[in-house]
Amino acid sequence: MNDIRAGTRLKILAALVVAMFAALTTRLWFLQVLAAEEYRQDATNNAVRLVTLPAPRGVIRDSSGEELVGNRTSLVLTINREDVADDREDVLYRLSQLLGVPALELGERMEDPDYYIFTPVPVAIDIPERVYYFVKEHPKAFPGVDVVELPVRTYPLGSAGAHVLGYLGEISEEKLASPDFASYRAGDQVGVTGVEAVFEHELIGTDGIEKYRVNSLGENLGPIGRREDWVMGNDVYLTLDADTQRLAEESLRLGIRHARTVFDPNSLRTFIANAGAVVVMNPDDGGIEAMASYPGFQPAAFSQRMTENELERRFGAANAYPLLNRAMQGQYPPGSTYKPWIALSGLKRDREGSRAPIVTTTNSYGCPPVWTVPFDEDNPDAIQYDFDNWTSANLGFMNMATALAKSCDTVFYPMGYEYWKIFFPTWGPDGESGTDDDVFREPLQKDLTAIGFGRETNIDLPFEHEGRVPTATWKREIHRAHPDAFPFGDWVPGDFVNMTIGQGDTLVTPLQMAAAYSGLMNDEGRICTPHVLDRVIDSETGETVRSYQPRCDRRLPFNLADVEYVREALTGTVRLPGGTATGAFAGFPFEQVWLAGKTGTAEVDPKQDFSWFAAMTESQGERHVIVVLVEQAGHGSTTAAPIARHIIEGLYGLEFSQFTDVEATD
Amino acid sequence: MDLVAGRAHPFERRAIRHIDPVLVLAILALAIIGLFAIYSATHQSLSAVELDPGRFVKRQIAFLALGTIVVLTAASFDYRLLRVYAGLSYVSSLVLLVLVRTPLGTSVKGSQRWFELFGFQLAPSEIAKIALICMLAAFLSEVRSDITLPDMFRAAGLAAIPGVLVFLQPDLGTSIVFVAILFGVLVVAGTRPRYLGVLALTAILLIFAGFQVGLVKEYQLQRLQAFLDSDNAGAAALYNRDQAEIAIGSGGLFGRGYLNGPQTNLDFVPEQHTDFIFTVVGEEFGFVGAMALLGLFGVVVWRAFRIAMVSKDAFGTYLAAGIASMLALQIFVNVGMAIGIMPITGIPLPFVSYGGSSLLINCAAVGILLNVHMRRFS
Repeated sequence: MNDIRAGTRLKILAALVVAMFAALTTRLWFLQVLAAEEYRQDATNNAVRLVTLPAPRGVIRDSSGEELVGNRTSLVLTINREDVADDREDVLYRLSQLLGVPALELGERMEDPDYYIFTPVPVAIDIPERVYYFVKEHPKAFPGVDVVELPVRTYPLGSAGAHVLGYLGEISEEKLASPDFASYRAGDQVGVTGVEAVFEHELIGTDGIEKYRVNSLGENLGPIGRREDWVMGNDVYLTLDADTQRLAEESLRLGIRHARTVFDPNSLRTFIANAGAVVVMNPDDGGIEAMASYPGFQPAAFSQRMTENELERRFGAANAYPLLNRAMQGQYPPGSTYKPWIALSGLKRDREGSRAPIVTTTNSYGCPPVWTVPFDEDNPDAIQYDFDNWTSANLGFMNMATALAKSCDTVFYPMGYEYWKIFFPTWGPDGESGTDDDVFREPLQKDLTAIGFGRETNIDLPFEHEGRVPTATWKREIHRAHPDAFPFGDWVPGDFVNMTIGQGDTLVTPLQMAAAYSGLMNDEGRICTPHVLDRVIDSETGETVRSYQPRCDRRLPFNLADVEYVREALTGTVRLPGGTATGAFAGFPFEQVWLAGKTGTAEVDPKQDFSWFAAMTESQGERHVIVVLVEQAGHGSTTAAPIARHIIEGLYGLEFSQFTDVEATD
Repeated sequence: MDLVAGRAHPFERRAIRHIDPVLVLAILALAIIGLFAIYSATHQSLSAVELDPGRFVKRQIAFLALGTIVVLTAASFDYRLLRVYAGLSYVSSLVLLVLVRTPLGTSVKGSQRWFELFGFQLAPSEIAKIALICMLAAFLSEVRSDITLPDMFRAAGLAAIPGVLVFLQPDLGTSIVFVAILFGVLVVAGTRPRYLGVLALTAILLIFAGFQVGLVKEYQLQRLQAFLDSDNAGAAALYNRDQAEIAIGSGGLFGRGYLNGPQTNLDFVPEQHTDFIFTVVGEEFGFVGAMALLGLFGVVVWRAFRIAMVSKDAFGTYLAAGIASMLALQIFVNVGMAIGIMPITGIPLPFVSYGGSSLLINCAAVGILLNVHMRRFS
């Protein structure tokens, strides 16, 4: 550059640049050295509010894809206690005016100890839209109040299937502490029972997260970073069939309604018929097609928060505990529905060549009105109790098959006595029986346990009860533990005798009964583990995440020829003149639908009799096992058999017959 | 053989010996700091969405490789050729600026500034900067005598056409760069201060008129308002500035440590890997780091002025002065907005911010600087 003046001007320009850099440096010095502490504090105070975007749970569907439990969006009003602080009274008053809920109650809901102090507490769900707009338009009048959209469950079937489907509730502290629920926080909704609980981890979606920056006033200053969207949970398809479920519940309801008009000669009043249960099962894979329990409930009720009192009032003793799933949590004496298993076990003893035959298919047995315990030379002081048949008529001589069809108690009592005679031959030296080798003394109980009684069926639903197969050991121990409730500890002949007709200390659940009859129906005597899950489907891609593989590896512990004999014998129950359910199935089209079954009348002192019916049906390859139980509804033929008939008519598209009074037969 | 070899590159060989190593090293250092800062600003957000946390760094490295080719190309031919093609490149850049307003251009966040080319954003306003520098240098180096008032207005007109086109995109920040280029070259070319005063007055009147007829977009007004009147501006408008200030201020003397800045990690600063990259350096390396970065920029601008000084001809001087003005203003505006002494505009920090267009153009500028420096004797 030859122009000297240009050099000067460049220096002027450079000086300007130096001034600019100096300005930057000064400002940086101020920010980073003089005011650094202040800014560091600001950075710490920079409030990030994490807003969870709740993911909808997966949809629960029946085997054909019909929606059983779905989702909808609900407006939920929340209060942030920290933000409402001093304005508490005013805000609660204004909200109570808007919502029509007493301020006191809102305050109670707000003070839920399950929530952290800085977490918004939901105080009202499904609020009207006008409240939503009002709150949004007057933020100054409602500090700390927010309205958020939350997905809530819908139940298109109403109360139908509620016991199987279950409901949601706030997560319990035990679950929160468990590693299985590590990603859950207090206040989260979680499946409390039924399918919702068992398949919680399939159904639960992944919540989205949005980060907001808020200033010291709590004003939203806009989102930070990327919003993570929620991912919906997997859809769960059940073996349940919505139509069958509705049919089962409707039949149960109709049957119960009818039972309440029937006069009970024992209690001299009409039947109370306060509760009942139905299980419809596919005998070939254990799939539960319907499971009903009466009384029922509306699972939607649980989307509202309820106080302890409210819960007790709605779901307590006054309403006969409607939350109880009686199909698998109700434990009842099985009554005569137990007889096929007693017969099969007796026939097995014969094949094993026990010292004296307990029962055979060829012999004839008398069916007198009363059977008396014979004189025992080994124990001459024993009282010779009388055991009555269900009818005072003498039904004469009959074979095993007829005894099943006519449900003759006095044919079965001696079988129980034989068990005593053969396997408990003498009193022990200390006067106590059955102190050792119980297992070898109790082949009947061993068989009953092998069938599946007295233990869980392992159905994929929670809180199943296991029933009871009484043994000498059990009786001794329960007597020691609870001498008041169980005053006798010794195993006596009457224990075996009672067991043959499903009384005494024997308890079963309707589900166990259904599983057992499924084994009886199966040609190879296979017993399938009952299940409600069919498959899990990814709700986004529609791909199958997993399918249920039927587990049918257990077998009835009996000879298949005997199984077939008993199964055929049970067709007599509904067809043979004098069969206990012949009256209940009068006019039934047996040429269209093959049907076998067993009635049961369980005595539960001091209540009215419990009515049982177990049915096996087949038509054109379509097979079902149906078990019906109604509490305090008389003989099996009175209430349970007509309900079963109504279900069977529905299943096979037959014309429905009316519920009418039928002769009371076991 | 010797003869051929000796004849082939005597000129080029000698020129490359006169490259400015200080400038090259300073640019290299800035680019490397930029890579580290970009990684810090982006790795967490990228991992959060399960993308490669080095995604932006890798792309920036690719841009830098491309930039190196641009530097070499821009330095390879005799810069005086630029004088011949100045008019052509200037007019072409104007055509591009007009075309970007048509549907050929892409609109992002309410302003139409880019062409989408092979997944790469090309901003014609960046090209126009270099084209304007060449055009002004060529025009003013033709003026042998002192610069008259009409000469000055002609030069101002040359700058005003692309400046207004860019302003209408709207891109207030880049149009200010055009003003800076004009101002720098006019000062160095020896325009009388009195004339510059007249020019400034005219410009102020025109800008005022522009506001009146509503050429300025709402958000620009808001940002300007936020800067001028921080008490009454909307919360959203204040947000960018406050977060940037908190990030830098909380860095303190020595910073929070690399990858340890809470403001950076929590995504508090918007556009952090591009416009607000300086906040990463400020938060994580503190005052010391920020001064080191400014120091490197100081070296770059000092070398640009030195090259203007040693240039063999007026054209080279004006080129270097224009580039120096351009770089200095971009640095000042970018750092200034991060620390709250300048309004927020979308001007990237040269060589440090993530992004292709501006990096390549700045590389071209460096190439021209090196070109002028290398050929100062021939």
